[in-house]
Amino acid sequence: MTVAAGIGYALVALGPSLTLFVSVISKKPFLILTLLSSTLVWLISLIILSGIWRAFLPLNSKTWWPLAILIFTSVAFQEGLRLLFWKVYKRLEDILDAFADRVSKPRLYLTDKMQIALAGGLGHGVAHAVFFCLSLLTPAFGPATYFVDRCSQIPFFLVSAIIALAFVTVHTFSMVIAFNGYSEGNKVDQVFVPSVHLAAGMMTLINFASGGCIIGIPLLFLMAILTLMHCGRMVWRRLTENQRQGNS
Amino acid sequence: MAQNQRPKTLLDSLGEEIIRILVPVSICMFLVVLLVSILDSNSSASVTSIAAMAYSETSSDSSWDKFLGALLNSLAFVAVVTVVTFILVLLFYLRCTKFLKIYMAFSSFVVLGFMGGEIALFLIENFSVPIDCITFLVLLFNFAVVGVLAVFMSKMAILVTQGYLILIGMLVAYWFTLLPEWTTWVLLVAMALYDLAAVLLPVGPLRLLVELAMSRDEDIPALVYEARPVIHHDSGLGDNTVQRRVWRARSNFRQDSEDNSNLNGNVVSDSNSTVGTVQSSHNGTRIARVEEEQVSERDAELSAPLIDHGRNAQDGMSAERLMLEGMGLGSSGAIKLGLGDFIFYSVLVGRAAMYDFMTVYACYLAIVAGLGITLMLLAFYQKALPALPVSIALGVLFYFLTRFLLDVFIVQCSLNLVMF
Repeated sequence: MTVAAGIGYALVALGPSLTLFVSVISKKPFLILTLLSSTLVWLISLIILSGIWRAFLPLNSKTWWPLAILIFTSVAFQEGLRLLFWKVYKRLEDILDAFADRVSKPRLYLTDKMQIALAGGLGHGVAHAVFFCLSLLTPAFGPATYFVDRCSQIPFFLVSAIIALAFVTVHTFSMVIAFNGYSEGNKVDQVFVPSVHLAAGMMTLINFASGGCIIGIPLLFLMAILTLMHCGRMVWRRLTENQRQGNS
Repeated sequence: MAQNQRPKTLLDSLGEEIIRILVPVSICMFLVVLLVSILDSNSSASVTSIAAMAYSETSSDSSWDKFLGALLNSLAFVAVVTVVTFILVLLFYLRCTKFLKIYMAFSSFVVLGFMGGEIALFLIENFSVPIDCITFLVLLFNFAVVGVLAVFMSKMAILVTQGYLILIGMLVAYWFTLLPEWTTWVLLVAMALYDLAAVLLPVGPLRLLVELAMSRDEDIPALVYEARPVIHHDSGLGDNTVQRRVWRARSNFRQDSEDNSNLNGNVVSDSNSTVGTVQSSHNGTRIARVEEEQVSERDAELSAPLIDHGRNAQDGMSAERLMLEGMGLGSSGAIKLGLGDFIFYSVLVGRAAMYDFMTVYACYLAIVAGLGITLMLLAFYQKALPALPVSIALGVLFYFLTRFLLDVFIVQCSLNLVMF
């Protein structure tokens, strides 16, 4: 509607990530690089997916099942990439540890590893917010606004910003959970992440029904809060275990 | 908290130089995107410059005609740049350094004064800023003179110098984005190819320049961005609190000395254009790989970036050879990047901004990735490599992929409020 509204929408989607960036990530250059590379990986995955699905677009907007298949394939692909990301990270960790030994510095602490995972997740989240929300915000800086039929109570830009906020949370913290699950071999965590991602994706399908977004978006936020809580609990557990190990 | 007493790990300091170069490049790109989106290019601002002399595009031509015209334009431009670079090599060979320096100062003044002035006029017109001619002229003149002083006298605060260099890059890049669309894209690709040829071929002008500078042990006067050197005080290596990077390599290793020349740009004067000079200070940038060497007796430096070589030195000093950068090393040991890289990256992103912001983000990520890949390639191959081709190639690729594939996909998904 105006520049102020445009900036407002952008901040709704990216405010928490900006805070995280300024307080945690901008202090350590390596984390900035991790963030940039994970954003790039997410973008590449999006491009590949759009390449695959290009032939089928534009989809018929009356039926919901093509969109369901689209979400399912996209989530599966991205979770596969997350596994690949983990493998690359493992190799990088070994290189870094070897390098640290050589310059006689301490090896990476648990908090360092979690910070790297957080930066990776934040990269994914920021990529989602940028491509699904920010890149469509350009008209919002002008004099008018836009409503979609599916959710006609609030402007389209606000809806997409709110959904982006939920997804940023999900992406950021599920990366921490996933890395932890892979390193500990914890099956629960390993299964938790893809299922939450898939569930969150499917929740957005509820928006398909007219007036559905009133139910869909709060459910989406429920998933985000679930991810946050699980991550918090897991981090707390690991840190106290580590502390106990360190003290004993 | 126990955290405060723990010694710092690698994570605190690794990758710092890369960030110190990434930040100004990002700032320059951001400013150009801002300018492009604020000043919607109206068709009345037709740029008569050397880059569009062979053919001026009109929207009624067919695609093939446009492509051919763009090709002709870029070939003409690359030819001019090659000729002028050879002239620069000749002048450098004949030791006309003073002349080069004065010429460079003059062209910076013209860029800051005239190009900066025109863009300021556009902005004033756009925002209806109430300012009178005389104040404007006084301000502009002062701005340009301080800029020239900042860039060529190294006694100024480094932030001022860096700021002015970014501004010069931004101004030239903005002017390039005013070229017609097809010409811009073909020109970018042509410059990347030229860079590749000029640096890697034995007859390339940039390679000749490097060899001349190295054989004479001199600096080339040019427009170069120098990042602040990274100094670690808490390195934990007892004796040396300040790790200095040595500019000159060890004398018994012939190969090193070619790195030490900071190759940086030349200035191409465009006598035909009414717009003023076109800085092609890109030429030097892309090349030099330089080694950082460590003065201390200890091993690897903490500021060593991600890839470590681990080759042991063959002479008396036990310093290890660390990463080779794609850019130059300044005499104080900081990373240098020539202004031409800034300019062409910003041109690509600015042109992407003229389509949509999605392409801007995609191209930004591609360029940053290209920069990272170039640095890694240098670490592996350990010879001079140009920094422009990889980034431009990735940038152009991502632009077209985003424009034709991603755009439709995302818009489809978003309008149905289906996201993942």
